[in-house]
Amino acid sequence: MRFWRVIEPHIGFLLQGFALTIAACLLAIVGAVLLGALTASMRSSGNRWVRGAANAYGDVFRNVPFLVQLFFFFYGLPELGIYIGAFETGVIAMSIAGGAFVSDVILSGIMTVDTGVIDAAKVSGLNRVKIFTRIVLPIALRVSVRPMGSVLINLVLTSSILSTITVNELTGAAKIVAATTFKPFEVYAVLLVLYASLTTLLSFAISATHRRLNRFMMGG
Amino acid sequence: MIVAENVEKRFGDALVLKHVNLRVEPGEVVTILGASGSGKSTLIRCINGLEALSGGKITVDGHDVSTKAGLVAARRASATVFQLFNLYPHMTALRNITLAPIEVLKLPKAEAEARARALLEKVGLGAHADAYPQQLSGGQRQRVGICRALAMQPRYLLLDEVTSALDPEMTGDVLRILAELAADGTTMVFVTHEIEFARHISSRIVFLEQGELIVDLPTAQFFAEDGGLAVPRIRQFLSKMKKD
Repeated sequence: MRFWRVIEPHIGFLLQGFALTIAACLLAIVGAVLLGALTASMRSSGNRWVRGAANAYGDVFRNVPFLVQLFFFFYGLPELGIYIGAFETGVIAMSIAGGAFVSDVILSGIMTVDTGVIDAAKVSGLNRVKIFTRIVLPIALRVSVRPMGSVLINLVLTSSILSTITVNELTGAAKIVAATTFKPFEVYAVLLVLYASLTTLLSFAISATHRRLNRFMMGG
Repeated sequence: MIVAENVEKRFGDALVLKHVNLRVEPGEVVTILGASGSGKSTLIRCINGLEALSGGKITVDGHDVSTKAGLVAARRASATVFQLFNLYPHMTALRNITLAPIEVLKLPKAEAEARARALLEKVGLGAHADAYPQQLSGGQRQRVGICRALAMQPRYLLLDEVTSALDPEMTGDVLRILAELAADGTTMVFVTHEIEFARHISSRIVFLEQGELIVDLPTAQFFAEDGGLAVPRIRQFLSKMKKD
């Protein structure tokens, strides 16, 4: 059929781009979640300087378009004498932007944690770090994990913007193929399927995590 | 020994504890009675450092709870059981009990679990080690709460209205366990509304009235006509509690 004849010579190149997208997304998801959890813990700190610094980070990176942030890092880091590849720059920018949103949803989860439970942990002698990682965060995540899923799916979609800084991830590869074949419809139809399958897979993972974190809420 | 000297606690403009003095010697069971809002729970929360003092001093075995190092040592010496259990909802009964022994006392996991299972067995929950708090009744949850406190091998057990959220049958289960602990010589500071039970297990009873500790007597004297009952406020309080 006509569709496959258009795509077939380029499918290897597109899948290479897809692999790059997956790699960037996985790394950025890990980065965004770690950074988001750290920032959320700082935003719930008793120290106003720590809180202020974390809030400032969140405010800046939630309120500037990702494209602007990306260019800022891509063109700005070399000015500071930091030379890293476009892919690495993209992953770092995605982690930082994603972390700002993740910290928001984790913080809202933290605010639902029963203070009595934290009191119990305090009097048992657990230190602050242990209280946060063993008690507060796991309880917060059981309500935060779903909205965090939306943030992470958005992050996957945002990865297409990395094509603007020479990273030939899925969208970057597609632009090249579309330009050489003059068949943008067929090429972007493939993208639609690939992006949708990636985000669907992520949704399933989020649902499974949600179920797992909330398993103790069932039965009785 | 727990010593509270001239303890004062303010919440904003409200003075919740006024120059409270209290000593609890090892082996004693001291019950704190008083109306709701009289400062009983606040006093417990000052002893375990959940509330900072506005004035005065509290030491647990000589460790000043208002200093950082003192608080760590004081918390190591005592354990608290809460009115609303405050179990970790995402952990099984067993993990609730073993968390602090493993993380704070640095017990090997196997040893902490063996001890936890023995404690659960003792309170009649041997079969529920792997249940999550949500899957347990209130009385069962509170018994897990008691095991969690005992697993830290505290010298002092602080009990903050531990049966107030339970129905009478469950209350009975929990009180039976506390009576056994008292008989074993566990030192307890016990905030409660269960007057008959307090009379049964306490060596001393103190009475808080609007933040002031107005009576501190050995149990028998507290209930004697020429002792506690001679204080009009206590007579009134006890007669009201009996009616309920």
